[in-house]
Amino acid sequence: MSLAAFPFLAFFLTLGAVLAVVLDAVARSALAGAPAGRYLAGPLRQAAMRLSGQLVTTEAPDRANWRLAPGWYGALAAAGLAVVPFDEGLALVQLPTSIVLWGAVEALVVVVVFLHGWSPNAPFPLIGAYRYVATGLPVMLPSMFVLIGAALPARSLDVLAIVESQREMWNVVRQPLGLLLLLIVGLSLTLRGPMDYADSADLAGGSSAEDSGPARAMWQAARLAMLVAFSAMAATVFLGGYLGPLLPGPLWLALKTALVLVLMVAATHLLPRMPVSRMVTFLWVVLLPVSFLHLLAAGLVAL
Amino acid sequence: MTDALFTGLSALALYAGWRVFRVDSMVRASFWLMISFIAVGGIGILLSAPYIGVATVFMMAVEMTVMVIFMVMFMMNPAGLNPMMMVHQHRFSIGAGVVAFAGMTAATLLTDLPSNPVAAGKAVVHDLGIELLGDSMLIFETAGVTLLATMVAAVVLSARTGRFGDAVEGSVPPGLEPGGTPAGRVPEKSGGHHHGSHGDGRSDHAHHHEGHDHDGGGHDHAGDKEKHA
Amino acid sequence: MAVGGTPVFVAAGGGILGAVEALRLEPALTPVATPRAAQVLLVVGEQRPSDRIALARIHAQLVEPRATVWWRTDRLSGFDLGTRAPESVSDAAAFISAQATQSDAEAILLDDAPPNPWEGIGPHGQGGKGMMGGTPYGRPMAMTSDDLRDGLSLDAYTATFGPYLTQWPPGLIMETTLQGDVIQSARIVEAPLAQDVLAATPHLELARLLRLLELPALAERLVRAALANPSRAATGLARAVRWTGVLSAIPAGLGRDERGGDVRSRMAGRLHALAAGRPAEPAAPGDVAAMLAGLEWHEAALVLASFSIDDLRRAIVSPAVRMAKDAA
Repeated sequence: MSLAAFPFLAFFLTLGAVLAVVLDAVARSALAGAPAGRYLAGPLRQAAMRLSGQLVTTEAPDRANWRLAPGWYGALAAAGLAVVPFDEGLALVQLPTSIVLWGAVEALVVVVVFLHGWSPNAPFPLIGAYRYVATGLPVMLPSMFVLIGAALPARSLDVLAIVESQREMWNVVRQPLGLLLLLIVGLSLTLRGPMDYADSADLAGGSSAEDSGPARAMWQAARLAMLVAFSAMAATVFLGGYLGPLLPGPLWLALKTALVLVLMVAATHLLPRMPVSRMVTFLWVVLLPVSFLHLLAAGLVAL
Repeated sequence: MTDALFTGLSALALYAGWRVFRVDSMVRASFWLMISFIAVGGIGILLSAPYIGVATVFMMAVEMTVMVIFMVMFMMNPAGLNPMMMVHQHRFSIGAGVVAFAGMTAATLLTDLPSNPVAAGKAVVHDLGIELLGDSMLIFETAGVTLLATMVAAVVLSARTGRFGDAVEGSVPPGLEPGGTPAGRVPEKSGGHHHGSHGDGRSDHAHHHEGHDHDGGGHDHAGDKEKHA
Repeated sequence: MAVGGTPVFVAAGGGILGAVEALRLEPALTPVATPRAAQVLLVVGEQRPSDRIALARIHAQLVEPRATVWWRTDRLSGFDLGTRAPESVSDAAAFISAQATQSDAEAILLDDAPPNPWEGIGPHGQGGKGMMGGTPYGRPMAMTSDDLRDGLSLDAYTATFGPYLTQWPPGLIMETTLQGDVIQSARIVEAPLAQDVLAATPHLELARLLRLLELPALAERLVRAALANPSRAATGLARAVRWTGVLSAIPAGLGRDERGGDVRSRMAGRLHALAAGRPAEPAAPGDVAAMLAGLEWHEAALVLASFSIDDLRRAIVSPAVRMAKDAA
């Protein structure tokens, strides 16, 4: 444990979330053909308005889980970011199996999103929750293969060792397919664009359809926090994390995290979302074998 | 610090385990069980078993989610809107619980446990891998992939849109020689040489869906399946 | 993703959908998909008197302080709340935004009580045998019935959806029986309402599909193009939509109509129409309710959005109209 990493973690979460909002606004305005200002002012103004707004409830909800779900989601984002090293040896939580801890965070995200959809006791949120589990579980498997594949060159499950193993060559060069697969996982973890099966448009907002006031603002903030945590993790595992010439390590990590954020935002706004049954077929029939082959190739290269 | 964490996590594991039997919803019960396991996983990390500790967390998260989904799908009253009894066979359960607790406590207290603390720098994850698998890595992996293939095959074969076409259409497996009699069990619907009195199963099914009569239709259909079986 | 301005839930009626799209682009407003996120209930276009209960229910779901604004429509009798906004789009937007900040909240019109009492009969109180069955608060407990897809017996849930679901054609009311998110059966209670000319342009028809495919920014670009000039050929825009891979995201054979076309081919037809600057070919949906049975909720929404509202109206004769015809 290295408490010196704590300010970096807080800094990353705040600045990253702001950057994500800005990038989203820029992408929307570029695609919609309108000035970016209105998309930028909107989320901030609404977040402020919602925090003071009324909290409406449904009939017979599971109140504890409903209120706690955004908190759990945000806490998972922070837990995931806690194993990311901001500089050599500067990670809040240091474990010999820290990449597996990130895997546990991914698995618990499925639980939290399910609880968030199940607890309001209403049809659209529940359908969103069902769907998210149906897609979230098969996404876990490629995710595990990709993370193990990235750990192979380091011969360690420690994220610190995984970064150090990229001194000569970034993992994205060794395993380009891995980053692509991990981005799909990230879209699912953050409920975005082509993998937004929990909070989808056809369900009037899905798992958050019944959210109002501060609960809604908190859930959206937690989604942004998870986006930052994921981007930092992807940058660490595939883009060499804090490694880089001249600039200090944390700055390199921030730049690389921003690059992954750009990729995530672009995918959000440019890729359509398939109906869930088509996506589930795609995940099991295409993505799972591809990730298996990816792991095999990564293993052979690492030998 | 470690002692305080151990006590806290143990208390959480026990409390969550007790809640499993006190809540009135399968979903809540499953996730309380998950919390109990996560606390045990935390204890695992404290006991210098970082891999097993963290792996417990993600395995339990996935397992409990699958359990919850199936319970929400299959069980009446899964969400706790109606009261639900989470415990059955009270006397037997109490007896079994007491006996199991006494037995395990006795085993823990009476066994002379070895005491050799793990050195700080020891590569426990690496050693655990060697200890668990060692030479049998290939066998283990082969068995794993075979099991996975078996599960996929079982789902493919039992799905309505199955290997031999739509199950509702009375599909037949191919013959052993080209144009020969179908291999395996002959389905009643297309076989036609017995159970003729039940008529065509398909028309039953069609009636069920057009009628919107879910209770009646459902029971009819279930009965029909039994007669065929 | 939110856009700037006052969050508004738009309860759209008839002859208004194109004008609503223009209003949605106003920076002072943010259209939201659920009343839980809205400050203002905006009732627009011709309303069926029979929908006032549904409207009152949505009003009750708004966040306090509730405010209702009527635009290009009169107040429904029995719903004496709110004020009328000016006709023009920009004036209306400013007016609606101002209403959100007023302090006098509207009271809800419905009783905040279950439709029936909790019965408290039987061993667990819900009125059924053991832990199954019963009708607590007048709503039957979900019970298992056969699944269309794989023969499992799962809980079925029946509910009425519409007429103000933003992702469906305005006015459409359907009673659907769901197992998970698969529609086991659907019964159309009310047909969608007729809409204005702008709503039938390929731009807006594609925009509605793109929103269902989580591409709201591209949908907004189409709306802007339609408001600028709906009859100009937009070849580049059609290509941009195609490049996102929307056509391959839709499963082949989904929602076959009587002429053999599916959602994918109808969407491709709209893209051709957009590139050529002409309206899209009409389609013949046939029995819409039967078409939706067995589809997943998202697929069903895509099927509904893949037909023009006129096509849907032709295929669905409103049960009320049918009854009137039978009587005559």
